[in-house]
Amino acid sequence: MSTAKETPRATEAKAASDDLAALLARVATRDTAAFAALYRATHAVLYGVVARILTRGDASSEALQEAYVRIWEKAGEFDPARGSPLGWMATIARNRALDEVRRVRPTSLEEMPDGFEPAAETVEPLAARARSERLAALLACLGNLDADKREAVLLAYYHGFSREALARRFGAPTATIKTWLRRSLMQLRDCLES
Amino acid sequence: MTLSPDDDFAAAEFALGTLEPAGRARLAARRLREPELDAAIHVWEARLAALSEATPPIEPPVDLLPAIEARIRAAAPPPAADGVVALQKRVARWRAAAIGATGIAAALAIGFIGREATRASAPKEFVAILQKSADSPAFVASINLAKGELSVRPVAAPPQVGKSYELWIIEPKLGPPRSLGVIDAAGVTRGPRLAAFDRSVVEDATYAVTVEPEGGSPDGKPSGPPVFVGKLVPVEP
Repeated sequence: MSTAKETPRATEAKAASDDLAALLARVATRDTAAFAALYRATHAVLYGVVARILTRGDASSEALQEAYVRIWEKAGEFDPARGSPLGWMATIARNRALDEVRRVRPTSLEEMPDGFEPAAETVEPLAARARSERLAALLACLGNLDADKREAVLLAYYHGFSREALARRFGAPTATIKTWLRRSLMQLRDCLES
Repeated sequence: MTLSPDDDFAAAEFALGTLEPAGRARLAARRLREPELDAAIHVWEARLAALSEATPPIEPPVDLLPAIEARIRAAAPPPAADGVVALQKRVARWRAAAIGATGIAAALAIGFIGREATRASAPKEFVAILQKSADSPAFVASINLAKGELSVRPVAAPPQVGKSYELWIIEPKLGPPRSLGVIDAAGVTRGPRLAAFDRSVVEDATYAVTVEPEGGSPDGKPSGPPVFVGKLVPVEP
């Protein structure tokens, strides 16, 4: 399930990932200079993660700040065996954004201005940005899903669509969306573990 | 793992973020009590995390680093103020922090608190669960503040051949991590006693374990990133 050879870009990405891991290890020892360097290297990706889910600029800025405070607090818990440093940090940021969007008022579709709908993510442009073997494997498995089901997973991941929001988007009952998600996620799990 | 397929799916949806607010809140509460569910959520998060690498970057409207640094400074522990009242306040704060930080640590700690409390009724006992990930505590450190004593026992730490585990105390006031000694086969550390450190430092510190050459770090500094970390949780008498 992994790509056969390391491409130059994969090698480059691995070096960058090792750098981030080293910075995180220093942050765990309360190294503020390392923290600033880590912020500069990663904040635009993490802002990209939260801004796509929250859509409101002030909420995105707040979520990003909370995420980095948490990264500062939890840096010592990062485990390279479980994923990339950037993926770990982005998960923290994404969870902050999801907690916010699922807490007060679901910001999903009903609060978006009329006519504004996020563009669907498709696998091809994502693959062009694929840097790691983990991502390549995940995208290959996503490629096995039916187009609608794949789009549903990607809208949920990148834009924070809930079951309800997906139901509106696809004009399907929420129960159907739940079934889709269940099949898709289990199929992804089996594919990644094969 | 004995997680039911329904719970594994719930963990997957939690990680993907598709649960409605009530469902998400329910699962967030359950994971505090159910280590397997918590672990499954982490596994699903890790499975999906690679997607975030492909997120097109967006520059925030303003540089948020100064604001973040200010928050971190504000969250730093206040200057040491000894006394029972200050200690009790800090106890409350740890509780909140421990529960907020890692649900599993809190859940485990509650289990340990029960056990430790019946075993020893010493007034100022603390435990730290040192773990790598939510599902695998590796050492339990027990600390008696009154006596300045520390004991560490392995729970699931794999034995190291030709290497040693070394325990470190990490606290901003101390500067770089300071060694608390090598953890020997019996699970006890040698080295300076905790009494050598300021009480508030001991209470607020992060404890970390690294893998070092046999006999411990040659230069008094950790040779690599921590493999297990944890914070103290008070054991109420």
